[in-house]
Amino acid sequence: MFRMKIAAMLAACWVVCLGAPAADKGTEANPWVIGMSQCNLGEPWRVQMNADVAKAAEAHKNLKVIFKDAQNDTLKQRAHLEEFASQGVDLIIVSPKEAAPLTPPIKKAFRDGIPVIVLDRAVLGKDYTQFIGANNKLIGEAAGKWVVKKLGGQGNIVELKGLMTSTPGQDRNSGFRKGIEGSGLEVIFEADMQWLEPNARKEMESALARFDDIKLVYAHNDPAAHGAWLAAKAAGREKDILFVGIDGLPQEGQAYVAQGVLDVCFEYPTGGKEAIASALTVLGGGEVPQDMVVPSRYFTKENLKDGGAALEE
Amino acid sequence: MKKFLAYPVTRALLALVIIVILGTIFNADGAFFDWGTHRDMLRQVSVYGILACGMTLVIITGGIDLSVGSVLGLTSVFFSMLSIHWGWSPWVTIPLSLLLGAGCGMISGGFIARFGLQPFIVTLAMMVFARGMAKYVSGGQKISNYLQKPDGSFENLELPAVFDALDARLLGNNVTVVSVILGLSVAVSYLVLNRHRYGRYLFAIGGNEAAAALSGVPVLRAKLLAYGISGMFAALAGICQAAQEYQGDPEAGTAYELSAIAIVVIGGTSLMGGRGGIMLTLLGTLTIGYLEKILSLNAVGEASRLMLTGAIIVGAVMFQRNRAN
Repeated sequence: MFRMKIAAMLAACWVVCLGAPAADKGTEANPWVIGMSQCNLGEPWRVQMNADVAKAAEAHKNLKVIFKDAQNDTLKQRAHLEEFASQGVDLIIVSPKEAAPLTPPIKKAFRDGIPVIVLDRAVLGKDYTQFIGANNKLIGEAAGKWVVKKLGGQGNIVELKGLMTSTPGQDRNSGFRKGIEGSGLEVIFEADMQWLEPNARKEMESALARFDDIKLVYAHNDPAAHGAWLAAKAAGREKDILFVGIDGLPQEGQAYVAQGVLDVCFEYPTGGKEAIASALTVLGGGEVPQDMVVPSRYFTKENLKDGGAALEE
Repeated sequence: MKKFLAYPVTRALLALVIIVILGTIFNADGAFFDWGTHRDMLRQVSVYGILACGMTLVIITGGIDLSVGSVLGLTSVFFSMLSIHWGWSPWVTIPLSLLLGAGCGMISGGFIARFGLQPFIVTLAMMVFARGMAKYVSGGQKISNYLQKPDGSFENLELPAVFDALDARLLGNNVTVVSVILGLSVAVSYLVLNRHRYGRYLFAIGGNEAAAALSGVPVLRAKLLAYGISGMFAALAGICQAAQEYQGDPEAGTAYELSAIAIVVIGGTSLMGGRGGIMLTLLGTLTIGYLEKILSLNAVGEASRLMLTGAIIVGAVMFQRNRAN
């Protein structure tokens, strides 16, 4: 008799535990839990991505986001995915450090029934709910076209490249070259500044020492454009040169545009806001397209107040 | 000639001369003959040179300081925060930043001198710790005059005059302030090493620590001083870095310790301790500075630049090795 009572109580508990939460999950009292794994919070752009996710999630009381930082360590990020799965989160957002080693754990979580949204860097195959990323080639091309229009298709350009062994560096380079193709613009000096501002300043000093006629600097990120501006300012030539940067973080690129350092910067959007919007759709039982390109904007002094303008096609 | 080459300082000088001659050959359409090129080279290499001054003192005691790059990052954030966000006067922020650097160095020095721990491990730990602290203090963002307010909007603060003053040029635009600071750092290090008894102590400790202790050298205090000065120079370099970037970057100075060590060794100071000098380090600074400038002027590609730098460093050290041994 006693045993049966216990069994009945256990059965009741089981029903309560399993049945009840599923019924009113996604409320303020019992929010959906999203696990967010960031590959490296050492980069300001990725700090911004987390901030965008946090800000978008804040508006929804029925969401709770757990943030983890893999500190640029693939195995740590792999552990994040396993931890999220065993914790029983409702959805995973992951911005993977690299594709090959992180594809299997992402695939496993996805096949176990947890929706996975992949941000910025793609994984191999199609085992994820949605990939959200921006297109560096298109952004580079848009920058090239902007430059052609601005300079009337004539003039000497310095290109300060990001790490050319990285995909963003290669795409921002090839996209830009496609954008200026067929015009009279000429890249007279190019150097790899490895995304670092002090290196960009150093390379720009060399360019200034060698060439008296430079019309524009195209830098693969905003800090590099800022470094180039500092070099030109020290040489008293910053007024004769236009400066173009990429990334458009509020406290970097947009700030430089506001200060009149950069003439234009092209946003490389983090997709953080879009990820939360997709997460809400998926958790609510809706469908999202499997691959999504986040539209980019560009900022000039004129359009900064209105939050930038969409890239022209 | 052989006798002439027996002095480390003449060998270091010869290495520099060879690099400069290479510069006159690969002069990038004459850009190398422009004084501006040399002025800019001195500006670029100043931060490394200042780090190398402190590194020289530490290496002469037979130690190493791997934390200088991180301490540079930490103080550049700290200095920018105090100066830009809080609007404090440079008469307060500069001494406080130097104290912070000296403090970091003396903590490492304390563990090394008091508990006999390996300098490599202790300063490696400080390198990681100081980098973490730089990220913690700054919240992972660069500290600039563009300040985000709690409501998400941005405020463009006035850039404190000290930033412009430190990034300015003197003597009719011919010398940068940071190069002058490098010169002063070399002078101070020279006085400590060659004109003060503590300098003698540092050489004695590097030569034979046990013998030095037995002959009454205050080993603990001398080591504390060496690491403390190294930290202080790292802080000074951090202030110069922040002034040149117009912001405090928590990632600033990553891997700079390696350049500082390379400069010291190319100069001719022995990694075994006990032999070396600050003038050698100055020559090493110029050698590395010209090497980088020449590669950059000629727009040498990244891959070949890394290979050439590696080969030339080994060549210079080979050239510099003590032929008496």
